[in-house]
Amino acid sequence: MSMESVTALAPGHGDPAGPPPIDRGRRGVRPSSFIRWAFLIMVALYFVVPMLAMARFAFQNVPTALLTPEKIFTGWSMSGLWAALTDPQILNAAKTSVLLVVFAIILNLVLLVPLAIVTEVRSPQLRPFLTAFTLLPWVIPPIALVVGVAATFRATVPWFLASVFSLVPFYALWAMPFTYRALDAGLQAISARTLYEAARSMGASLGTIIFRVLLPNMRASMIAASGLTAAMVLGEFAFASLLLKTTLPTQMVTYERSDPRGGLALALFVMLLTALSLGLVVRSLRRRGLNVQTTGL
Amino acid sequence: MRSLFRRENRLGLFVVAPFAAFVALFLIYPTLVVLYKAVTPGGTLGTDALQRALSGTYRTGFINSIALSGTSAIIGGIVGILLALTIKSLQRPRWLHSTLDSWSAVASQLGGVPLAFAFIATIGTQGILTKLLMNVGIDLKEYGVSATGFWGIVIVYLYFQIPLMFLVMMPAVSGLKETWREAAAIMGASPARYWRAVGIPILAPAALGGILLLFVNAFTAYATAYVLNSGGALVPLQIRFLLQGNVITGEEDLGNAIVAWVIALLLTSLLLMTLLQRRTLKWTSS
Repeated sequence: MSMESVTALAPGHGDPAGPPPIDRGRRGVRPSSFIRWAFLIMVALYFVVPMLAMARFAFQNVPTALLTPEKIFTGWSMSGLWAALTDPQILNAAKTSVLLVVFAIILNLVLLVPLAIVTEVRSPQLRPFLTAFTLLPWVIPPIALVVGVAATFRATVPWFLASVFSLVPFYALWAMPFTYRALDAGLQAISARTLYEAARSMGASLGTIIFRVLLPNMRASMIAASGLTAAMVLGEFAFASLLLKTTLPTQMVTYERSDPRGGLALALFVMLLTALSLGLVVRSLRRRGLNVQTTGL
Repeated sequence: MRSLFRRENRLGLFVVAPFAAFVALFLIYPTLVVLYKAVTPGGTLGTDALQRALSGTYRTGFINSIALSGTSAIIGGIVGILLALTIKSLQRPRWLHSTLDSWSAVASQLGGVPLAFAFIATIGTQGILTKLLMNVGIDLKEYGVSATGFWGIVIVYLYFQIPLMFLVMMPAVSGLKETWREAAAIMGASPARYWRAVGIPILAPAALGGILLLFVNAFTAYATAYVLNSGGALVPLQIRFLLQGNVITGEEDLGNAIVAWVIALLLTSLLLMTLLQRRTLKWTSS
């Protein structure tokens, strides 16, 4: 049973056996209901307070030590964020990160779209191997692989690691689990196998099937995979930092050391941007009924 | 697999080969080299490096990392399960479930540098919460909470652990059918008995699997720990030290050995998790 159907089953309308309004009012103050809401509010506070604290630090030019109730409304400005956003090194790092996102997405889709299609419509026996593969990035995380990369590529092909774009294949690698899951969910949602067989029996060529039947139907899952990849690449710090590459997250840490206020403003800005785009991707997926696991498991 | 090489499946081979070559070159090859070097320190077969990777400061690192990951996994796991159960029982604001679902998908991906900054502004020495509590006479430091200490890092990690647990548990919790609870009640079972005999046994594999995943997730987290306390005795930070420092001759295999242990630990956790997940699927796929 999917999460969608659970939500759809929730009472509220069209439920003749539902309790009358008076009963509902009484239920609202039941102790167990009170405990539930108290718990939810505590969890919500835990998630909201750090964001508010970060926003205060980033946009109010009053040191915490000097902050008194009278000063709550003084010193607010966007100057820190503006300074960070116009800093040439930050802009350069942001450009690098955007290019890394684009290249990682392209590389991933080129490698995985054909593979997902072939697995679904022609060779289902590949599925167990791919499922096992999607666990690999959890076993060999950036902090472990970086040692291997330093021990191999640094010695044999130093020119490869000299470029910041040497990060692309590795970023593509860590994005593969959820990319494959998203593509696979998309193919299953449209019953790709049936479509393939139907098109085939009507004499469509392989090219026609791929470009006019399957790919247009996979747009949603490709967008979802791209959104998740972008969030992953824009947040990855360990691998880039340990290979001494300048990307947006590593430059953010450097920038924060010279201007804490601007650094936090920038971090908040990037985090909100990532969260918003990721949230939109997830919501649109849920609305389409695609049960994509963002964890890649 | 063999059918791939048949004539009519040339296409399959054509598609699988680039992917396999890519994974082999960028993931398998560097990993195998590290594992090989870990068991052949100085060029000869031996467990010398592997033993040294678990002694002295590195032993402390492993103990700290396991304690930190374990604590954040257990607390995050419990809160995540409670959150999933609460959301399931509260069906009234219809937006609640979907909002929390989307929010968790987002928050479980957060972390890294910005998250560390957020908590420095909250519970750091100049943090707003530190100051607010100080004003009412509570010194967070006296309770051992600072953004750079053990409990501080646990609190920060929970920010992505709780949503991840929620995402992992929600399918299993949704699989708890209302009819089971009603059936138990009709047969005279108390709510406590229902949980003991039905609820907990059904949720346990998913919950344990989820906690293992959280453990792995916290063990490999680097950015947050680095920003909060770059000199801390945690395995990821020690790997950085070995990788970047001008390591003395004979020490270069130490980093490989540590990574070998890390991979062994993660592999064991994830294999266990997969086994537990299979048990969960029995209940949720129906």
